[in-house]
Amino acid sequence: MIVLICALVAASVLFYIFYLPGKLHLGVEKTRVAYLRERQEAVYENLRDLNFEYKAGKLPDADYQSLKSSLEEEAATVLAEIARLEKTGAGHPLRSDKGARI
Amino acid sequence: MRNFLQKTAQLTFLIAALFTFLGTDQDVRFQTLGHKVKCICGGCNQVLLECNHVGCSYSDRMRGELASYVERGDSDDLTLQAFVQKYGPTVLIAPTTTGFNRVAWVMPYLVLVLGLTTVVLIARTWKTRPQIIPVGGTGRVSNLELERYREQARKDTEV
Amino acid sequence: MSQIGSFALLLALVLSAYSFVAGLVAVTRKGPGAERLGETARRAGIATFAMVFLAALVLVIAAFQDDFSIAYIFHHSNRDLPGAYKFATLWSGQEGSLLFWSLLLATYGLVLRLRYKTDSRLFAHASVIIAAVQVFFLLLLNFAAHPFAVMQGLPQDGNGLNPLLQYPEMVIHPPMLYLGYVGFTVPFAFALAALIMRYPGEKWIQITRRWSMVTWGFLTCGVFLGAHWAYSVLGWGGYWGWDPVENASLMPWLTGTAFLHSVMMQEKRGMLKTWNMWLIFATFLLSIFGTFLTRSGVVSSVHAFAQSSIGDWFVGFLAVTFAVCLFFYVKNRPHLRSEHKLESLVSRESSFLFNNLLLLVACFTVLWGTLFPVLSEAVQGSKVTVGPPFFNRVNVPVALLLLLLTAVGPLLAWRKTSIESLKRNFLWPALGAIAIGAALIVVGIRPWKDMTYLYSLMTIMLSALVGFTVISEFIRGGRVIKGHTGQSLFASMVQLAHRNTRRYGGYIVHFGVIVIMIGFAGAAFNQDKEQEMGYGDKMSLGAYTLVCRSYTQEDKPNYSSEWAIIDVFKGGKQIDTLYPERRFYKASQQMATMVANRSTFKEDLYLVYEGLNQDTGRPILKVHLNPLVMWIWVGVWIMIAGTVVALIPNAVPVRVTAPARIQAAPVGAGD
Repeated sequence: MIVLICALVAASVLFYIFYLPGKLHLGVEKTRVAYLRERQEAVYENLRDLNFEYKAGKLPDADYQSLKSSLEEEAATVLAEIARLEKTGAGHPLRSDKGARI
Repeated sequence: MRNFLQKTAQLTFLIAALFTFLGTDQDVRFQTLGHKVKCICGGCNQVLLECNHVGCSYSDRMRGELASYVERGDSDDLTLQAFVQKYGPTVLIAPTTTGFNRVAWVMPYLVLVLGLTTVVLIARTWKTRPQIIPVGGTGRVSNLELERYREQARKDTEV
Repeated sequence: MSQIGSFALLLALVLSAYSFVAGLVAVTRKGPGAERLGETARRAGIATFAMVFLAALVLVIAAFQDDFSIAYIFHHSNRDLPGAYKFATLWSGQEGSLLFWSLLLATYGLVLRLRYKTDSRLFAHASVIIAAVQVFFLLLLNFAAHPFAVMQGLPQDGNGLNPLLQYPEMVIHPPMLYLGYVGFTVPFAFALAALIMRYPGEKWIQITRRWSMVTWGFLTCGVFLGAHWAYSVLGWGGYWGWDPVENASLMPWLTGTAFLHSVMMQEKRGMLKTWNMWLIFATFLLSIFGTFLTRSGVVSSVHAFAQSSIGDWFVGFLAVTFAVCLFFYVKNRPHLRSEHKLESLVSRESSFLFNNLLLLVACFTVLWGTLFPVLSEAVQGSKVTVGPPFFNRVNVPVALLLLLLTAVGPLLAWRKTSIESLKRNFLWPALGAIAIGAALIVVGIRPWKDMTYLYSLMTIMLSALVGFTVISEFIRGGRVIKGHTGQSLFASMVQLAHRNTRRYGGYIVHFGVIVIMIGFAGAAFNQDKEQEMGYGDKMSLGAYTLVCRSYTQEDKPNYSSEWAIIDVFKGGKQIDTLYPERRFYKASQQMATMVANRSTFKEDLYLVYEGLNQDTGRPILKVHLNPLVMWIWVGVWIMIAGTVVALIPNAVPVRVTAPARIQAAPVGAGD
């Protein structure tokens, strides 16, 4: 009885693991544009935070202006590269054989 | 069950000792010394005077001993020595400040100081390190265009 | 029955080994063949869960069926044990708790493997690492600590569960703690995976953010449930004894807390990548190390499962894990270069650096104190004790500094903060904290009389400072939203929290921390008294007078007990009746106290029944008066609530359309 149960369990496990009909869904390879979009979102988040904190009265004007302009600079570079990549037809997978270099 | 009987007998003795012999002055000494010694029951790793966990067959006896040393008027050092003689060095609740045991006390502060120095030093080197621009390839973008993206970022992130 | 369990464990080992090897081959190759292989590895990982689950199920069923032919059940259960504790048998002993560890890991692995589409390559790498950890635990279970080992002969009844563990919280304390310990495997696996594959960007942090927070929340619960259990069951009137096992759970909590903070710097600013990597490595290694400390018996502890041979396995596993981490770190170090420089020492960034430093110093102190006896034996030939006075002396000042940072940090701006901004943000909270300090001195706290009073006062003042800054953060932010939407301030604050749940959830957690700290501060004013209490005998402590109404004995199937009935008077009026009790558990032949505790926000009146005086036949009671203890448990609930808030997804911020150029005009600024 116990032997039978064990055999049955083993058989169904093996079937589940190795029976793979049809095509596999593997998701997409991460592209440089996707990476840049993440960066953009991060910088945007920082900018929103900064604006909010300024409105909440936590920052003096001088601090705010200098922080804001450097963050905007960062955002602009990212946006520029996204635009450039999308113009030239984006979608190069990020990984080369040597792995991704940022 | 025999343990239990023993314990109660000891407890009775202890309480009797406590209330009969100890004056206030001695009581203070009893309290201080009782917090420098560990109950050696092996279970709780607790200060003697705070150990009364269930089934502890040592703390009452040890308290009785402490009470009798204090009653006899032994000095603090002598009393602690007597405990070390009887139960070994582990009876002291914290490492002494002599010999190798000093290392135990010094290390955390040393690590704090070293860590603090390292953090400050690292922070200083970071401040002087050149900005690493994470995204490259903006060289071909004109300033005008960059200004446009900046404007876009500004608009996108208004609160 | 036990054969099915053994078989399931063996099959689980084979499957996880396959998942590891096939997964490893698949991530290093390319092409459709590799993809199919990877898929089988993923499925083998899922099947591992099914098999480990089956094994655990068999063990629990065996416990309920009183199958004492299995040695583990014989040693940790008995016929009269209540149902909940029979279920808890699964984690009451060494073999079972290792199986439970493995089951939780398999469950985390299952969730991860089902959600692989988020980023299949990253998940495949993480899955391989999880499988490797799983292989280790299944090797242990199959070859070193087999939960289905069979008894010689068939005993009539079991040894029973340790009576100290027969307490409702003990049913949930270990699972919480284990969920915490095991959970750190997931962020660890992702971090290592990201390093190995040189994963571009910080997405892995976002993916694991919730894992880390949930895990941290469980660990927090586990640690404090342990403290609460010690307080209510061990009957020594305290909640934390710096026992090696308590320390073992505190260490990953400290590094995990550091990680939760510093990882924000990586997400937001691309900084501290190396540091975070090592923090999460350390946290994982410390969780394993904690399990090792609990299980191996290298240091003596309340949790006396111990004294077994599996210590060597853990040392081996720790060494291998460390070597793997170090190898990939050295190999892929350039990948962890920082993207930004630190602009000022007065900035949010640097406050995180100092926060991390302090948390790690605290962690080091705990580790050092726990292991010093071992070191001392090696160096000077004799063990020494490192007890509570050592840990308190070093860690209390560290905790105070941390509190100060908790107050200051959130008010510092990212990148740099000017003195003016500091003044603007700190004036009111600081004045409030000073006022509270002054009020406490007026009320009668004399910090110059004793170091502990001074610490206590400082703790409360700094806690107040943190509290005020948290409140001011909520009010400031709430006002901005109120200005935009016209809602009430409270509704605006709720919306504020909803817009950035992690930050404001974090603030709520900080609030919980200060409530706990205030509870700790109360310990400086603990009092206790011991007395024999016959019929009608009186005893006074603090504002309370206790009168013994009666005492009696009773016999139940699982245990026999003695207890006293004590009337509690305050200001001449009776306010309560308490029943301190002492039990003798028959199966295990052990004693246990049932503390009677009257808990209020002001103080706990904590009664321990110590036993009968054999000469007089009257009970001896020990009474503790512990101020503010309830604050600790309330604080924990606040921390949990904060963690839950932080887990809620952010609401999309309200976009207010305004002409771009004029936007710089402040709304409600400068007040």
